[in-house]
Amino acid sequence: MKTLSTRRTRAAIVALAAGSLALTGCSGGSSSGKDKAQTDQDAAAQSKVVPLGTASQSAGPAKAVPGAQSGGTITVYQRDSYNHLDPAQMYVSDVGDLAKLIFRGLTTYTQDDKGNKTLVGDLATDAGKMADGGKTWTYTLKDGVKFEDGQPITSKDIRHSIERMYAPFITEGPTYVQQWLSGAGTTYRKALPDGPYKGDHLPKSVLDTPDDKTIVFHFAAPQTQLPYALAMAGYSVVPDSAKDTKDNYDIAPVTSGPYKIASFKSGKSMELVKNTNWDPKTDPARHQYVDGYKISFNHQFSDSTKRLMADQGEDKTALSFTNSVDPSLTKQVLSDASASKRLVQGYQPYVWQLNMNMDRLKDKRIRDAITYAMPSQQVVRIEGGSYGGEVAGGLLSPTVAGYEKGYDPYGKLKKPNGDPEKAKQLLKEAGKVGMKLVYAYANTEIRQREAVAIADGLTKAGFDVQKKEVDSSSWYQQMGKVDNGFDVYLTGWGQDWADASTVIPPSYDGTTIADGASNYSHIRDQHVTDEIKRIQQIPDVKKQTEEWQKLHHYIVEKVNPAAPVFYTKVLQLYGSKIGGIRYNSDTNYLDVNTLFIKK
Amino acid sequence: MLPFLLRRTIGAVVILVLLSAFTFFVFFSVGDPALMACGKNCTADNVALIHKNLGLDQPVPVQYWHFLVGIFAGRDFTLGHCSAPCFGYSFATKQDVWSTMMDRLPLTASLAFGGVVAFLAIGLGTGLLAAWKRGSLLDKTVTGISMVLSSVQIYILGPVVLGIFVYSGIMAAPQYVNLTSNPFGWFMGLLIPWLVMATIFTAQYTRMARSTMIEQLQEEHVRTAKAKGMPARYVFLRYAWRGSLIPIVTILGVDLGSLFGGAMITEFTFQLAGIGRLAVDSVVTLDLPMVMGVMVFSAALILFFNIIVDAAYAFIDPRVRLS
Repeated sequence: MKTLSTRRTRAAIVALAAGSLALTGCSGGSSSGKDKAQTDQDAAAQSKVVPLGTASQSAGPAKAVPGAQSGGTITVYQRDSYNHLDPAQMYVSDVGDLAKLIFRGLTTYTQDDKGNKTLVGDLATDAGKMADGGKTWTYTLKDGVKFEDGQPITSKDIRHSIERMYAPFITEGPTYVQQWLSGAGTTYRKALPDGPYKGDHLPKSVLDTPDDKTIVFHFAAPQTQLPYALAMAGYSVVPDSAKDTKDNYDIAPVTSGPYKIASFKSGKSMELVKNTNWDPKTDPARHQYVDGYKISFNHQFSDSTKRLMADQGEDKTALSFTNSVDPSLTKQVLSDASASKRLVQGYQPYVWQLNMNMDRLKDKRIRDAITYAMPSQQVVRIEGGSYGGEVAGGLLSPTVAGYEKGYDPYGKLKKPNGDPEKAKQLLKEAGKVGMKLVYAYANTEIRQREAVAIADGLTKAGFDVQKKEVDSSSWYQQMGKVDNGFDVYLTGWGQDWADASTVIPPSYDGTTIADGASNYSHIRDQHVTDEIKRIQQIPDVKKQTEEWQKLHHYIVEKVNPAAPVFYTKVLQLYGSKIGGIRYNSDTNYLDVNTLFIKK
Repeated sequence: MLPFLLRRTIGAVVILVLLSAFTFFVFFSVGDPALMACGKNCTADNVALIHKNLGLDQPVPVQYWHFLVGIFAGRDFTLGHCSAPCFGYSFATKQDVWSTMMDRLPLTASLAFGGVVAFLAIGLGTGLLAAWKRGSLLDKTVTGISMVLSSVQIYILGPVVLGIFVYSGIMAAPQYVNLTSNPFGWFMGLLIPWLVMATIFTAQYTRMARSTMIEQLQEEHVRTAKAKGMPARYVFLRYAWRGSLIPIVTILGVDLGSLFGGAMITEFTFQLAGIGRLAVDSVVTLDLPMVMGVMVFSAALILFFNIIVDAAYAFIDPRVRLS
């Protein structure tokens, strides 16, 4: 979910949205009390540790959606086409909804009416049986699970799905499981340089399939997060047959979910129809109420918002999986009696932060001064107001277990426009009033607008701000350089699943510092590094979360490598004849598993 | 005529080769396509692996040579054999570049064809009428309107028209429907873009037709024809009109090439997926094979229409010799 392309995509989305905002001079909407209560409830549900479900919770069929009816086709307006259909190449959040409809993996999430998630078995009979303190995990496949061509899914297919992710043509998908099995970084590729395509396999001591139904993962160290990692779209099942066409599989995959691909014209359209070989009795999370989906691409947010607001003709049965309400139209949507009843909203997993290059800003008082000076509220306003984001007090998103509502050591919630006096005082103590601060920002419209506000806030605090514009297409590459030449820069990071283990280690582990790595602040704190190692070994996820929380406090308060700026949010609109709408706290968009068309 | 066409075609091929070489070599100064396919683990190792997968680990001149060979003789990729004319496979989508362009072409061609018919019919008609009635209220009205319309842009007029006709539910949103399977659907699906394009382009052709016609009416041969007592309508249409066509045809040739090569703003405004949209998307995603394919294809169309226009001069004006 947190790939460079995701972040670029998001930057582009926000940039376009901000472009519209600039044209209209609209400052976006403010959340009503009811909406605020709803998002608070969402945050409360999402920041809990996701429990592992039992075998009975993993059995199908999924709980019926009240009032659901069968039939009809949903029209879907998407801005971006899908670059990948090979699940092993899927990492960006935009494909998460599609993956939910067409692919299945060993595990998945179910969600109750209050938004509480449970991690359950999907193709597997349960969320996994752990042994050796987390070093061994065993999964057993359900009876009756099949690919779209009617071929039964076996443990050989699961092994193949994992092993093909070692092949050189897979470069964009998640790497958690491969690294846990065969080595960190890219060294895991050496264990199976060509993937399984030349007849080689991982040793049974690493990945074993004793029979057609059983698959056993053996790790060198405890991996308590395995069930969550396996729920990622990237670990969906791929057949161990000639139908895995390697590179070409990205164009024509074999599906296993309730829908299959009837046609796909890249950049134009996609049609999904029912997969008749999907058995609802095996699936605890998905439904197949509608006959299919007619997806068209190239719809900017303003276009999809206007069509869905108008609610005419086929737009009554239309929605977008990932397009938000265009920020320039938020007020209009909220004041429209019909449209305002057809909204779904929730948090997105990203926390935007102003990274401070600790190789250059070594004095914590200076970093604290920058944090106090940040005009977060102004940035949120540029992002589209309270429906587009929320001022952040810490570096863990409301979508991550361990998030603490109200955690605000730098008073960002109390003084969202910054505290220049306090910042100035700290700078004075450090003897650095008037110090030069090189602030890099991407050359997108929204970042340029934010740069004005941020530079102004820092200048008021006593910094001599030197703005440096950087090409947005190479933004993360340039910021990822160890010697990047900048003092402060805004980056966004979100979790891969709702656990701090996918946030803190990649962002703040000093051992990962290298060109291209995501420790953008270059934090080299021995306590943090030691704690990461220690916490990752804790077999109990709840205990882990408590420890991540403590480490999060330490990082924010004692090290302060990045000023928290805002948590991202999404607001989506749908047609009046769409039923079963709710926010999905796994994909962080509307839930595609429960949709139906009202007659 | 044949030597002329042969000479111009050879010239066009040389231009295309130079243009493609320039684009190919300049492309690498813009950014690294591997970074767009790098995923979360964008380490040096992963970037190197992607370079190898995409063939970017070879020297740029070698890559360009392979590109040229592919156009004329086809190429083999890990994705399969790509027959000539082969522009390769998209870095971003793994789709065959040529097939993708051919898939987008019917929309772009339909958009261009309908737009040209509309703006030529309206633009030339009103321009000639204004010239015929020079100085009249009609002339002033036509001139005034064309002045206003020439300052309007598609990205402004388009959303306004969409707001009035589409988002209100009066008409369906613009879309491309296959002409042969549903001619009425094809017509209705593109009617709004055609009319908006016509509104913008008409102004230019109205003004051009009017001014060149007025110039022609002051030419000696036209005045001679009038002095010989020929009917005004005959002189207007037979002598003046023919002479005024050359600058109009010249502009039309450029416009046709541009429109067939992709009306980017029109396609973006009306959410249509044609060649123009493809061009922009491929540049944004640093999709080298698609950038090269669209660039060469669009440039070839512009050159083609220019050759046609040059050849048409001889038919329009016998004084022009194709030497």
